Amino acid sequence: MNQGVNTETIAALDSNSLENRYAYASQGQISSHLPSITGSEALSWTAHKVDNNSAPNGIPSNSTYHYDQHMQQAVTSSASLGTVNAPQDYNGYASYTNPTDPYGYGSTGYSGYYNGYQQQSNPSYSQPVGAYQNTGAPYQPLSSFQNTGSYAGSASYSSTYYNPGDYQTAGGYPSSSYNNQTTPWNDTNYANYTSQQYAQYNTGTSAAYSSGSATANAAATSLNYQQQYKQWADYYNQTEVTCAPGTENTSVTGASNFGCPVPSVTSGYPTSNSQPAPPPPPPPPSYNPSWRPESSSSELPSVQSGAVVNGAHDGYWRHGPPTSQINHTTIQPHLQKPSDQNSSFNSFQDQQKSLYSQGPNSQYSATNQAPLPPPPPPPVPSYPQGPSFQYPAVHQVPPAPQTYQSPPQNAQSLDTRRVGKLQIPTNPRIASNLNLGLAKTDRDSSTTVAAAKPAYISVSLPKPDDKVTSSAGADSILKPGMFPKSLRGYVERALARCKGDMQMTACQAVMKEMITKATADGTLYTRNWDIEPLFPMPNADVQKQDNVQSSTAVSPLENKLKRSPSRRTKSRWEPLPEERPVEKPPSINHNTSKFTGWVNANERDKKTFMMNTGSKDGSLTFTRFSSVEQKGSNKITQKPVKRQRLIDSYIAADNGDSSSDSDKEQSLTAYYSGAMALANSPEERKRRESRSKRFERRQGNGAEANHLKSKSAVSGSLYSRRATAMVLSKNFEDGGSRAVEDIDWDALTVKGTCQEIEKRYLRLTSAPDPATVRPEEVVEKALLMVQSSQKNYLYKCDQLKSIRQDLTVQRIRNHLTVKVYETHARLALEVGDLPEYNQCQSQLQSLYAEGIEGCHLEFAAYNLLCVILHSNNNRDLVSSMSRLSNEAKRDKAVKHALAVRAAVTSGNYVMFFRLFKTAPNLNTCLMDLYVEKMRFKAVSCMSRSYRPTLPVPYIAQVLGFTSIAPENDGSDDKDSDGLEECIEWLKAHGACLTADNNGEMQLDAKSTSSTLYMPEPDDAVAHGDASLAVNDFLTRTAL
Amino acid sequence: MAYISMGEAHRRITDYLNRFYDAVSYQDGASLKVLLSLSSNSPSLLSLADALNLYQDASRLIKQSDNYSQLAEILLPLFRALQNYRLANLIDSYQAFEKSANAFIQEFRNWDSAWALEALYVVAYEIRVLAEKADRELVSSGKPPEKLKAAGSFLMKVFGVLAGKGTKRVGALYVTCQLFKIYFKLGTVHLCRSVIRSIETARIFDFEEFPRRDKVTYMYYTGRLEVFNENFPAADHKLSYALNHCNPQSEANIRKILKYLIPVKLSIGILPKDWLLEKYNLVEYRNVVQALKRGDLRLLRRALQDHEDRFLRSGVYLVLEKLELQVYQRLIKKIYIIQKQKDPNKAHQLKLEIIVKALKWLEMDMDLDEVECIVAILIFKNLVKGYFAHKSKVVVLSKQDPFPKLNGKPVNS
Repeated sequence: MNQGVNTETIAALDSNSLENRYAYASQGQISSHLPSITGSEALSWTAHKVDNNSAPNGIPSNSTYHYDQHMQQAVTSSASLGTVNAPQDYNGYASYTNPTDPYGYGSTGYSGYYNGYQQQSNPSYSQPVGAYQNTGAPYQPLSSFQNTGSYAGSASYSSTYYNPGDYQTAGGYPSSSYNNQTTPWNDTNYANYTSQQYAQYNTGTSAAYSSGSATANAAATSLNYQQQYKQWADYYNQTEVTCAPGTENTSVTGASNFGCPVPSVTSGYPTSNSQPAPPPPPPPPSYNPSWRPESSSSELPSVQSGAVVNGAHDGYWRHGPPTSQINHTTIQPHLQKPSDQNSSFNSFQDQQKSLYSQGPNSQYSATNQAPLPPPPPPPVPSYPQGPSFQYPAVHQVPPAPQTYQSPPQNAQSLDTRRVGKLQIPTNPRIASNLNLGLAKTDRDSSTTVAAAKPAYISVSLPKPDDKVTSSAGADSILKPGMFPKSLRGYVERALARCKGDMQMTACQAVMKEMITKATADGTLYTRNWDIEPLFPMPNADVQKQDNVQSSTAVSPLENKLKRSPSRRTKSRWEPLPEERPVEKPPSINHNTSKFTGWVNANERDKKTFMMNTGSKDGSLTFTRFSSVEQKGSNKITQKPVKRQRLIDSYIAADNGDSSSDSDKEQSLTAYYSGAMALANSPEERKRRESRSKRFERRQGNGAEANHLKSKSAVSGSLYSRRATAMVLSKNFEDGGSRAVEDIDWDALTVKGTCQEIEKRYLRLTSAPDPATVRPEEVVEKALLMVQSSQKNYLYKCDQLKSIRQDLTVQRIRNHLTVKVYETHARLALEVGDLPEYNQCQSQLQSLYAEGIEGCHLEFAAYNLLCVILHSNNNRDLVSSMSRLSNEAKRDKAVKHALAVRAAVTSGNYVMFFRLFKTAPNLNTCLMDLYVEKMRFKAVSCMSRSYRPTLPVPYIAQVLGFTSIAPENDGSDDKDSDGLEECIEWLKAHGACLTADNNGEMQLDAKSTSSTLYMPEPDDAVAHGDASLAVNDFLTRTAL
Repeated sequence: MAYISMGEAHRRITDYLNRFYDAVSYQDGASLKVLLSLSSNSPSLLSLADALNLYQDASRLIKQSDNYSQLAEILLPLFRALQNYRLANLIDSYQAFEKSANAFIQEFRNWDSAWALEALYVVAYEIRVLAEKADRELVSSGKPPEKLKAAGSFLMKVFGVLAGKGTKRVGALYVTCQLFKIYFKLGTVHLCRSVIRSIETARIFDFEEFPRRDKVTYMYYTGRLEVFNENFPAADHKLSYALNHCNPQSEANIRKILKYLIPVKLSIGILPKDWLLEKYNLVEYRNVVQALKRGDLRLLRRALQDHEDRFLRSGVYLVLEKLELQVYQRLIKKIYIIQKQKDPNKAHQLKLEIIVKALKWLEMDMDLDEVECIVAILIFKNLVKGYFAHKSKVVVLSKQDPFPKLNGKPVNS
C-alpha cells in the first residue's frame, strides 16, 4: 500500500512538474492574495494542489499555524506511509532518490553550472546571509544551520527551520544545553552517514514536518541529502574551526546545511540564547503568521523537488533560503512553539499514519531528545562540530521555509512536492531506524539507489582527507564489523572535525569512553548514532573555536545556509550566501507581502527565479548584521571555498562511481562532472575567490547593520539596506513591476550624517556610507557655496556632482533637487558642457513631471533648442513641440526657442542671428554651439545667390560678428573687431575676398561658391568630443 | 443578465469545446477564427462567458476529454480571458489571452499548412486591441501602461514564426501591420525598422503576393515613416500605392492616407482639388492650399496656427511649414507678372522694396535684411532663377523660366 502511494505521488510529481510551474505562475498572481488572506490562499492552494494531487493539503491552507501543520501532517502522513514500511519506503525512496539524486548532483554540479546564475543570486545571497546572522544572534545558530541544509533543499529548509524552532524551545534552554543536544544529534547523523544522514534528514524534515514543511523536506531531502553529505564533508574539513566549517558548509549549501548549521548554531546559540529566548516570548499569534509562511515555504521546497527541472529547483531553493531568513525573525516565536508543535506534530503524525509517525517520531524523539539525553561533555565546542550542527541546521532550515510559505505561490507547489518529500523523509527515518541497513539497501537496490547513490556517495565521502583519517581513527577505536555502522559513522564524524593529531587522539579517547559506556548500558546497538550529537571537542582548540564562533558563529552559519540553498559548492556563492542571511531578516520584517510579489515574478520567469530568490534573500537579509558576525563570516567564507573545492572534486569522483548504476546517471554524472571540472578550473577558482572576497567585504558592511539594536550600527544597516535595494532593483528588472512597488524604499534609504560642506565627487562602487553622505541641510549649504564660489567650472561641476549623488542616494526629490540640477545645467550650458547638461536635463524633466516647481519653462526652451540644434530629429522635435502647453508657448524663452526653430528649419540666417543677439537666459549658449554651422550655411547660400560681390561688413553684420545696426559709427571698436573676426572666419572657410575701390572688403560670390569649405576644427581631439578635452575646459573656464 | 441554469451553462461550454475541437481537427480556420474573436462581442461568445462565470469548473470539463485536454493550454486561459472580458476586467483578460495566444502559437508552429492563418490574424488583432483596452484600464487606475508593449513583443514572436516559412509567410505582413499600429501608438517607431527590413529584403517572397489589405496598410505606415524623414518622393510613392490599392469603399482609410499624402504632394508642388478636401473632410488643408495658390503668407501662417495641434499630432506640421518658401515664390512670381504687364522690359529686375511692400500688405512685418535673406534662400533653393545684387538691392531674374516648377520634385535643400 505504502509503496503504491509513494509511487503515485512520485508520478504525480513528475507529471506535474510542468503544471506546477504553471501553477506557480498563476500562483504568483494569486500569491499576493495569499499572504494577506489565508482563506484566499487556501483557495489558491487548493487549486494548485488539485493539480498536484495533494488537494487536501492545500485546502487546509494556512488559516492558522495549526492548519498548516495539519496540512503538512497530511502530507507527512502520505510520506509516512512510505516510511512505515521500510522496504516499501525504500522503493519509494528509490524512486524518489532517483529524481533527487540528479538534483543532488545538480546541486554540486549546479554550483558550477549555475555560475551565471550565481552571480545574480550572489548579491541576494550575501544579503540573506546577513539576515541569517542577524536572526542568528538568537536564531542564527538554528536558522543558519538549518538554512544551509534547508537551503540546499528548500523543503529541507522548512523542516529544518521548524526543528530549530523546536530546538530553540528546547534550546530556549541555556545555550550550553543546546549545544549538548546538538552534539548528540550530530553524532547520530554521523554514524548513519549516508543512510543515516538521510534518516536524519528525514527526521529533520519530519521534525520540520511537524511544522508542515516535512513534505518539502522530503522532496528536497534527497537533494539536501546530497548536499548535506557534501556539507558534511566540508564540515569536517571545516570542523577544525567550527565557525569556519559552518561557513564552508554554507558554500556547499545543501550539504553544508547540517554541518554548517551546527557550528553556527552552537556559536549562535550562546550568543543567541538571549535572542532565542525572545522568540519564545512572542505570542502564538505571531506564530501563526510565521508558521503559515513556513508551511507554505515548506511546500515550496517540495515543489521544487517536484519541479523536476533543475532550474526550477534552484529557484526554489533559493527562495527557500531567503524565506528561511525571513522566517528567522518571525520564526523565533515559532521556535518556542516548535517545541510544542513538535510534540503535537508527533502526535499528528502518529494519528495520521501510525507507521509514519513512528518513524518520524522515533527520529523526532531522537532528534528532540537527543539534545537533552546525550550530555555532551564540552557544550559549545562540540556543537560547532558537524553532528550537532546537523540538527540545528535542520531546525533552522524550517524557518526559512516558513517565510517561503508566506509567498503563497510557493506553497502551492510545495504541497505537491511535499508529498514526495515527505515520503523521502520517512524513508530516511526508517533507514535511521533500521540503522545501517538503509545505506546498504540503497546501494543494493540499483533502481532506487541509483538515483540516490550519488548523493549518498557524496555524503559518505564527506571529506577525503578527513574521512581517511577519521575512518582510520574510527578503525582504531572500533573494530570494523563489530559495531553498528551508524556508530562507526558517528565516530568518523567525530574524528573528522579534529584538526590535528592532538585533537584526534583526544577525541578517540572520549569516544572510547563513550562506547564503553554505551556497551555497558547496552545502548550501543539501540542508540541512534546517526542522531547522536557529537561530543564537544576535547582540546584546547575548543576555546578558540568558541570565541570564533561566538563572534563569527552566526556568520558562518549564514554562509553555510546561503550556500546550501543554491547548492553551489563554488566559492563564488559562498560570499553571497552570507550576505543573504544578513540582509534577509530585515526585508522579511518589513515586507512579507513584497516577497510574495517577488515570488510571483519568479514564477513568471524561471530564469529570473533564481535571481529573484536571491533578491528575496537579499531583501530579507537586510536587517541586521552584527559586526562580530561579519568578521567571523569573512573568515569563514574564505575557508569554505577551499573546502568546497574539495567537495566538488569529491563529488565528481562520486559521480563517476555512481554512473555505473544507470545510463541516466551516467549522462547526468558526465554532465555534472563536466560542470564541476569547469568549476574547478584554476581560473574559475581564482575568479570566484576574488569575487567571494569582494562579497565578504560587503557582507561585513551588511553585518554591521543589525536590526538588533544592541549591536547594530546605523551606518551598517544602511549599507546592507542599500545592497538589498540594489538586489531588489535587479529583481525588479527581472520580475516585473509588481515586486518593486512593494519594496519599502524608505526603509532602505540612506540618511546621511556628514557635516562637511565641501565634498569631492567619487563615483560610488559600493553602497554609500552614511558617514560620507550629507543630509539635506548640509547639501543646501553646499549648493549655496557652489553658487557663490569663484572657482572654475571643473571645481563646481565636481561639487555639484557630489551634491547630486548625495541627493540621489538619500532619495531626496524636491525643490532642492530641482535647484541643484538647474544650477548644474546652467553652469554646464555656460561652458558648453553638453553631456553634463543632458544628464541634468533628463533628470529635470522627470522632476518637473513629478510636479516639483522649478524654472520648467526656461528648461523647456533649452530642451527645444537642444532638439532643434543638436539632435536634428524631426520626430523628436514634433513631439516636444506638441507637448508644449499653451502657457509655455506664451513664455518668452519658449517663444524665442520656437522662433529659433523656425529660423533654423527655413535656413533664415538673418533671423537666427537676430535671435542670437536677443536670446533670453542661456539660450545664447545653446545657440552658440550652432553658430558655426549656421554661418557656413549662410555663406554658402549667399555665394550662390549674390552676384557679383557682397560687402564683408554686411556679412559681418548679418552673421552676428558685429552689432545689428550696420549704420552705426564704424569707429566702434567692437564692430571693427567683429569685422576683423569676420574676415578671418571667411578666409578660414575658403572665401574669396577682394577689396573694392573704396578699400572695402568684398566677397567674390561666384568664386567663393566653388571654394567654400568647412575647416577642420582647431580644437579637434582624438576622441571626437572637444568638450572632453581637459585643456580646453581649463582655458574656457579659467578663473 | 438573464438567468442561466447550470445545465445550460454546461451545455454551452461543451458546445464551445466541441466546436473548437472540430475546427482544429478539420483544420477549419474560418470557424476557429470566430471562436477566438474575443472583442467581436458575438452573442455566442458572450453567452459562453456568462456560462463560464456561472459554471466555475470548466477546467474539469476540459480535462475530462482527451480531445479537449490536448488544447487545454489554449482553452483554459482563453476561458479565463473570456470571463474577465465579460466582467470588464481587461487587464486580467489580457494576461490570460496572452497566455492562450502563446499556446496557440506553439500549436500553430506545429501545423504544417497555413490553414489557421485566419485564426492567427484574429489572435494578433485581439491581443493588440485587448492590450490597448487593458492599458486604458491601467492608466485610469494610475498605473503605467505596459500591456501594449508586451503585446508588441508577443507579436514580434509571432512574426518570427511566420517570417521564414513558405506558406505561412503570407501572414507575416498582417502581423507587421499590427506591429506598426502598436509602435506608432507607443511612439517607438524606430522599432519598425527591423520588421521593415525583414519584409523588404526577402527576395524569395514577392511583396505583391501578400494580401492586398496588408499591402495597403503596410504602405500606409511606411509612407508615414517617410514623411517623418522628409523623404518626400518615397513617401509619395508609398502613400500613392496605398491610395491606389485601397478599397474605394472604405473612405475612412482613404482619408487617413490622404491626410499624409496631401502634405507630401504639396511639398512637391502638386495641389489637390478642392472637392477632394471636401469629400474626405480634410478642410484643414484648404487654407494651406489657398495660401499656396495665392502666395498669401499670412493665410498659411494662420492656417498653421489654427490647426497647430492637429498638425503636430499627425506630424505634418514641419512639412507644412516648409511650404512657406513656395508661398514666397508664388508671391514674387505674382509681383513679377504684374511688373511684366506694366513694363515687360524691366520685369526681370525686381526691387527688394516692392517685395517688402507686398509683404507689408500681408501684414508681415519684415525688414529689408530679412527679405533679402529670404530671396537669397529662394535663389539658393532654386525656387527662383537669378541672382541678387546687394548694392542696388535688386533681384535679377533669369529671363528663361524664372520660377521653375517643382514638377514632383521636392525643394532641394
